[in-house]
Amino acid sequence: MAAIEALYLRKHFRAKVKGEGFSASLRSLVRPEYRETVAVRDISLTVSEGEIVAFIGPNGAGKSTTIKMMTGILHPTAGSIRVLGYDPVSQRQALSYHIGTVFGQKSQLWFHLPPLDSFRLLASIYEVDRLVYRQRLDDLVERFQIGGLLRTPVRKLSLGERVRCEIAASLLHWPRILFLDEPTIGLDVVVKHRIRELIGELSREDGVTVFLTSHDAGDIEQVCRRAIVIDHGRLVLDLPVKKLKYDYLNRKLVSVRFFEPQSLPAFPGVTAIKETGIAARLSVDTRAQPIGAVISALTGGGNVADITVADPPMEDIIADIFASRKEERS
Amino acid sequence: MTAAKARKYGAILGVSLRSGLMYRGNVLGGLLFYALFIFVFFSLWGTIYRAGGVPGYSLPQMIWYVCVTELIVFGCRSGVFGQISESIKSGAVAYELNRPYHYVFYRFFSALGGIVFSFLFYAASALALGHLFVGPLPNFRLWMLPFVLVSIGLGAVIQFFSYLCLGLSAFFIEENRAFMFIYSKLVLMLGTFIPVEFFPGWLQTVVRYLPFSYITWAPARMAVDFSWGHVASALPLQLAWAAVMIALSLLLYRKGVRRVNVQGG
Repeated sequence: MAAIEALYLRKHFRAKVKGEGFSASLRSLVRPEYRETVAVRDISLTVSEGEIVAFIGPNGAGKSTTIKMMTGILHPTAGSIRVLGYDPVSQRQALSYHIGTVFGQKSQLWFHLPPLDSFRLLASIYEVDRLVYRQRLDDLVERFQIGGLLRTPVRKLSLGERVRCEIAASLLHWPRILFLDEPTIGLDVVVKHRIRELIGELSREDGVTVFLTSHDAGDIEQVCRRAIVIDHGRLVLDLPVKKLKYDYLNRKLVSVRFFEPQSLPAFPGVTAIKETGIAARLSVDTRAQPIGAVISALTGGGNVADITVADPPMEDIIADIFASRKEERS
Repeated sequence: MTAAKARKYGAILGVSLRSGLMYRGNVLGGLLFYALFIFVFFSLWGTIYRAGGVPGYSLPQMIWYVCVTELIVFGCRSGVFGQISESIKSGAVAYELNRPYHYVFYRFFSALGGIVFSFLFYAASALALGHLFVGPLPNFRLWMLPFVLVSIGLGAVIQFFSYLCLGLSAFFIEENRAFMFIYSKLVLMLGTFIPVEFFPGWLQTVVRYLPFSYITWAPARMAVDFSWGHVASALPLQLAWAAVMIALSLLLYRKGVRRVNVQGG
């Protein structure tokens, strides 16, 4: 059975439109006018059990709307959707026992209480047997290394500590699918890395299906095996991450600052975006030029004061995808 | 309801009790206003009583009356209106919906813990302030207390579910604060500040059939002028209004949840 199956999924939103001025306000009171916006257009996709899927797209692409339809929060305008064989609209409660959700911007833990209290509460909300809960908690505490945080009020936890507790909380009832909406937003590199490892482990050891939205190219590269790209509510691309990586995640941005002004060594596959002599921003095509070679060439002269390597922002990657698809078509 | 389901709501109440114990931030600020209100009414009614009596209530009764009504308004406050409206408008409601519980009862039990603590706190303050301003409540006997507490409880339930209904109206109307404003003023005028007996005859008849006075007037009247006749007429009507408000909130939720409009992302 497929974990998630969506066919021509569509969601329209109706928003009131109102002209400027007092008379327009009055008119909209008497006869409101609405404008339809289409958040999701005819998305069809199938996710098998045990897959780790990245669901990516720029802001407002319809990612969250799609996740909310999959979890039964929003009702689709048209199309059909099955999650673990359930219809999320009419069987939301039955489905909720089998899925876990983590929404980066919204906590499911009680703010003034230690996480342990929220864990106990969630266990009883999901009707987890007490003994089973205790074992599961021990297991999750060890995996997420949150033993020391269990008795500290949530408001006193750092963001990284909180996110670890949030994900552990969403797993207490053995969900078969985990929906993660921007789980690493605002986290530092080390914590991000740890969270990614944990998500990978989950899928390998428990066979949990993971459906993850993110802005962060690193999340996708390091965790997921398949990427689905949407934009303006439309499915743009559905391909293995390996291929996505080779085709689109092949650029790194290098920012470098020198002690003394110097000219940049010329390299194939490296283009300077900005160059002032004392500092430069380079775009490196890692297919043509390993990033390590670029860095050793730059730092070799002992003139580097500071250097950072970053992934291009998701918006740029998506723009690349669009550009290359247009080329394909024409 | 199965045992597991009942345990679920018990657990929600347990956590909200613990949370209420940990977080007492706005209780002290509220107390200041509470004391100020009682003082203002003490001065106001004092002046009125010096100019000539008011039929039906003596001055101590009147002050104790206000102590009890304000105890319900302040002490049983939950913030549920603001929380629900806000979470519907911001879309955060989405995250509270996909769990195996009934949202309306989840809201009730998770507010109850906080209400219990603030009620106990304000009840102690009410007793202290009442004694300070006018001395003990005349003719009050301890055996009346259970009836009064039940009536206060029902008043609090009507109040909670009314606010919950008003909050849920955000599903249908974006700007729902006006309802809240009108509603809270009605509750203040029809029973909290002024006992229902003081209204002219026709208005009194109308008010006695509306829910507003069953939040504050019915329990306060029972406390300051206990009579079996009042118990027999007030408690059934309180029960009925509580049932109506609960049913209405369930209905609003059922209709509203289909209209959830969560934009973004």
